[in-house]
Amino acid sequence: MTAVAIQNDTPRGGRAMGVVGTTKRLVRRPEGLFGVVILGIFTALAVAPNLFVGPLQTAVTATGGRLEPPSLQHVLGTDELGRDMLNLTVHGARISLAIGFLATFITVLLGVVVGIVSGFVGGFTDSGLMRITDFFLVIPTFVLALILTPIIRELVGSATTEVFGIRMTLIVIVIVIGITSWSSTARIVRSQTLSLRERAFVDRARVVGASNGHIMRRHILPNVINLIVANAVLTFATAVLLETTLSFVGLGDPFQPSWGQLLEAARAVGAPGLGVWWYFGPPGLCIILVVLAFTLVGGALDDILNPKRRSRR
Amino acid sequence: MRLPLRARAARLLVALGLALATVLPAASTAGAQEGELVLKAGTDQDLQVLNPWNSVVVADFEVFTLNYDLLVNFGQNLEPVGGFADSWEQDGTTWTFHIRDGMKWSDGQPATSEDARWTFQLVLDGAETERGYLGQGYLEPYLLEAASMTAVSAPDPSTLVVETDVPNPLILQAYVPILPKHIWEKYTIEQIADPEGAGYFKNEPPVVGTGPYQATEWVPGDHITFTRNPNYWGETAGAADKVIIQHFASGDTMVQALKTGEIDYVRGVLADQFNALKSDPNIATVEGIANGYTELSFNTGGNKEGYGGSTAALSDPKFRDALGYAIDQQRLVDQTLGGYGTPGSTIIPPFHTRWHVEPDNPRRFDIEEAKRRLDAAGYTLNGDGKRLDKEGNVINLRLTWPDSEAENATNAQFIAEWFGQLGITVTPAVTEEGALITDVTGPPNGPANYDIYMWGWVGDPDPNSLLGFFQTEEIGGSSDSYYSNARYDELYDLQRQESDENTRHEYLAEMQNLVYDEAPYIILYYDAELHAYRTDKFGGWTNQPEEGGTPLFGYGSIGYTKLTDLAAAPAPSGSAAAPSGGASAGASGGPAATPAPPGDSTSSGGSNMLPLILGIGALVVIIAVGLVVMRGRRGTAEEE
Amino acid sequence: MRSGYLGRRLMSAFLTIVMITVINFFLFRAMPGSPERILLRNVPNVTEEMKQAAKARWGLDKPVFPDQFIAYVAATAQGDLGFSFVARGTPVAEVMGQRIWPTIILFGIGELLAIVIGLALGAYTGWKRGGAVDYVGNGVSLILYATPYFLLGMMFLVIFSVALGWFPSFGMLTSGATYDSIWDRALDFGSHLALPLIAVTLGLIGQYAIVMRSSIVETLSEEYVTTARGMGLRESRILRHHALPNALLPTVSLIAINLGYIVAGAITLEVVFNWPGLGTLVVEALTARDYPVLQGTFLLLGVSVVLANLAADLVYATLDPRVR
Repeated sequence: MTAVAIQNDTPRGGRAMGVVGTTKRLVRRPEGLFGVVILGIFTALAVAPNLFVGPLQTAVTATGGRLEPPSLQHVLGTDELGRDMLNLTVHGARISLAIGFLATFITVLLGVVVGIVSGFVGGFTDSGLMRITDFFLVIPTFVLALILTPIIRELVGSATTEVFGIRMTLIVIVIVIGITSWSSTARIVRSQTLSLRERAFVDRARVVGASNGHIMRRHILPNVINLIVANAVLTFATAVLLETTLSFVGLGDPFQPSWGQLLEAARAVGAPGLGVWWYFGPPGLCIILVVLAFTLVGGALDDILNPKRRSRR
Repeated sequence: MRLPLRARAARLLVALGLALATVLPAASTAGAQEGELVLKAGTDQDLQVLNPWNSVVVADFEVFTLNYDLLVNFGQNLEPVGGFADSWEQDGTTWTFHIRDGMKWSDGQPATSEDARWTFQLVLDGAETERGYLGQGYLEPYLLEAASMTAVSAPDPSTLVVETDVPNPLILQAYVPILPKHIWEKYTIEQIADPEGAGYFKNEPPVVGTGPYQATEWVPGDHITFTRNPNYWGETAGAADKVIIQHFASGDTMVQALKTGEIDYVRGVLADQFNALKSDPNIATVEGIANGYTELSFNTGGNKEGYGGSTAALSDPKFRDALGYAIDQQRLVDQTLGGYGTPGSTIIPPFHTRWHVEPDNPRRFDIEEAKRRLDAAGYTLNGDGKRLDKEGNVINLRLTWPDSEAENATNAQFIAEWFGQLGITVTPAVTEEGALITDVTGPPNGPANYDIYMWGWVGDPDPNSLLGFFQTEEIGGSSDSYYSNARYDELYDLQRQESDENTRHEYLAEMQNLVYDEAPYIILYYDAELHAYRTDKFGGWTNQPEEGGTPLFGYGSIGYTKLTDLAAAPAPSGSAAAPSGGASAGASGGPAATPAPPGDSTSSGGSNMLPLILGIGALVVIIAVGLVVMRGRRGTAEEE
Repeated sequence: MRSGYLGRRLMSAFLTIVMITVINFFLFRAMPGSPERILLRNVPNVTEEMKQAAKARWGLDKPVFPDQFIAYVAATAQGDLGFSFVARGTPVAEVMGQRIWPTIILFGIGELLAIVIGLALGAYTGWKRGGAVDYVGNGVSLILYATPYFLLGMMFLVIFSVALGWFPSFGMLTSGATYDSIWDRALDFGSHLALPLIAVTLGLIGQYAIVMRSSIVETLSEEYVTTARGMGLRESRILRHHALPNALLPTVSLIAINLGYIVAGAITLEVVFNWPGLGTLVVEALTARDYPVLQGTFLLLGVSVVLANLAADLVYATLDPRVR
């Protein structure tokens, strides 16, 4: 306990362990290693899918017949348009992970800003922001996401710009996930900020005349980084799950099939009843593996970086 | 510790299930009795309507034609046959109908011409109300617009006289159920017409009608149970004692239910499921021709004042015609529809065998020809290989479709590719249906804001309704291509008033060719209607129409009345079970299929599933073992 | 002090409900497509007069704020949620009323089972920390947690209903059947309920087990447990009387928070099994653009989750005197 207190009292303490040290400790843990390996594989697939399976097959460039079972030519079979399922699943990694990454970024950014400002400034700002946070914490996120998606899609319009090679229709999904899932991050960051605010180094900074913005950026933020990292990894897992579910109810983009979109397409052609397991098996398996890996890594990071946080709220 | 816990949980589960089953909202008060023969038909459409004026989807129409008769019903081949009236004659614009003698409503009250008069008068009165239409406004146009009814009277209990404006025969095609006056007159026209008004009349069961089956139980959105009408006038009554129309949220579960024998008939089967069903010996598949099409519509207003198109080229028939050469309709049928459909040509689908004509100057899929035609029409390429319009701007077309029609995303992939080969960039994006309806509304009521888009239309037994939305006067209304052609408008009025079939055919042929050549629409394909039914319980399945029709969910209740009970008459002449009609050649197993226990058909999926089951099992084991091994190592690693 | 806490929680829940109501109003107004066009979307040949009449009827001709807003709040307060577009002529409240029981039954039982089994599994694996039971149990919990509900449902349907034919594949009762006795009916219901219920339960177990396990592990390392051990108390007694009650506390709030997420699972799972509950209703409303139903369900689900959270807070407060 004392060790943690001392560490937190040093303004730069949060980074004391360093990225290398953390990674070392992470891979020394078996579940951490398991997760890191899986994420490594999928990241490689996502970064350069063309290297492994060539460009994304479309209805026009499909190479197989309708719903062909796995064969030497199509290791994972084909979909109803004759597209190779291995090709689609690998490209799905790129799309699912890109959406997950962007959504996590927005979620964490929103959560950290709200959490730090709320915890540090206090007063009416705090209670106002926490009201909003509580609102997002309790409402059924998914239904809100369902309602928000058409609205935001309408606002964005049929813009043709792409972000990270992701079409606007999917960026809408990213925004929706971001808007609906930042609240728990904000809660955690706020409670940490509250305790940091009372620490000596913050008072010292105040005495030398540092502005609030400066203190939040330079003194509070570095000390909540540990929290943020573990939280972000766990958020990534839920973002992938949320994207999958939104796509499954038909809000994905068939031009850029994520894993969830593939599952929805499989359901739409009736693959489960047809016994076409190669259509929903591979993307389903990938979702499970990736979410599992993120959860394991996130949990391990939490253990490593925040050994005492698990105390009761 | 685990075992007792599990046992306790199981006991708890059973107890809870039992307790809850008893308090469940009743779904069975009017269910089948011992020995009753029940026909169960599945549909993917909601069952939300018993008041016929509120009908919108096919299932709604199916429901009211079971409950009621039309004044003139549709026969096996959609010819006019006796319904509420059993004979009629026309004298110019005056029609005289003779009501069936001795007919009774299902509650025993006599059914007379007064009921028909009251129903038609309701339609006339409905147009005069402030609201302007009844319910959803889908039924009155048959009488008021197509048949141009102006007055109705009932000089005696067996005679109905209808006055019309023009002498066309469309009164015989009016899709309007004749309702029992003694039930409905208790309600004001507002209560009948306005589903959102106070005291709205839902027409809840038991429904009183003259049709072969009457709704006796209704769980909105789930199912409607119909019971045989004891007073039904028809000679054949149909073998089913009860008919249940069941809604399914998922097409997949619907087909599973057919395979296991939980239901007897399915409307709306997906292409791959349809293929799979063909190998089931107890199931017959029917590939009907849909009375409708899916089209690629152009914003023919282009970028004129009031229109939101991106280029003036859209207004040029030559431009649209050239693009028509760059669409491989057969490929779309094969890929998007899984082969179940027909490449599109003119605006009257081949379903209307009497009226459909093939175009005089048909287009074919030929990218080079499309390029030649674009060049000839003055749309040249720039240095980057992009087409320019006549103002010298690069043509970049936005392509959209409603999110309710997801299969168009596949069409969009192809169209973007083909047009791309012409040097025309296509940006495909789906649009939310509500927003799309607003976007495609023409001036002065809407922005007409699109370039090209895909959607579909569904027709009636008469093609009239499919011709209306190319009229100039429909711009701002139902016209979504904003097509305007004086000759077309003239022909539309001529055909509507024409009582001679051959002359009308000439008009319709000219109209079809006109729209084909000028191409405000390029009809992508005529979809197929994929239905399937079990052949081991009911026989006598008959398609309506015999050429390209389906046994149920057609036009009226005729299919239900022809069903026979296979158990009651174990006739070796199994041909009765085989569907008649050429288009239904897909019916599998041939005649005299031996009834096998339903369980057999499902086991075919088992072998297919084995790899999956094994795969999942293996995965679970691998991960579990992996965790155990790694954890075990961790135990030692941690002691550092 | 106690009453102060209670008052704060009540106030907060009330404010959240107010926010949900307000947001509900503005979301509906922001939906794509002009409202009067959507309200008349099934009517062919819409004329300008009809549009004006429709606008007047729904009060759309008045300013959004405050007139329309006041009308909305007044109607909502009376439980008037408007009329469903799809279920033409049926008030939204009635449409939801038909669908609420199947969902409550399926997810109520599923949630209860998952809590009991998940917490038991978590407690047991946590207690046996480091043993083989822990590795397997925790591994299974993690995999279940990582699996989307509907995927679990799809696999169940394929394996147990399509391939093996053990259970019916759709619905809640065999439609149109009559039953000789209440037992037959219960049996029919039970066989329809089994698969979705198992899917729901398995889908939820993972999370509860994971949280319970870490909570138990933490509690077992606390000083008073060590003290109790030192006093020579039996392990099982320590678990039951000291570790469990304390470890249960954090899971109470988790269960409440979780309700919001369960809704997502409910929606997709019900679709997979054709279960006639609120979830299928939401998806039907979404595909049919039935905005009034969508908004109504949002309101209903939102308010019930808020109330459930409030209840959990109160339970938490009575269990843990440190919370005031």
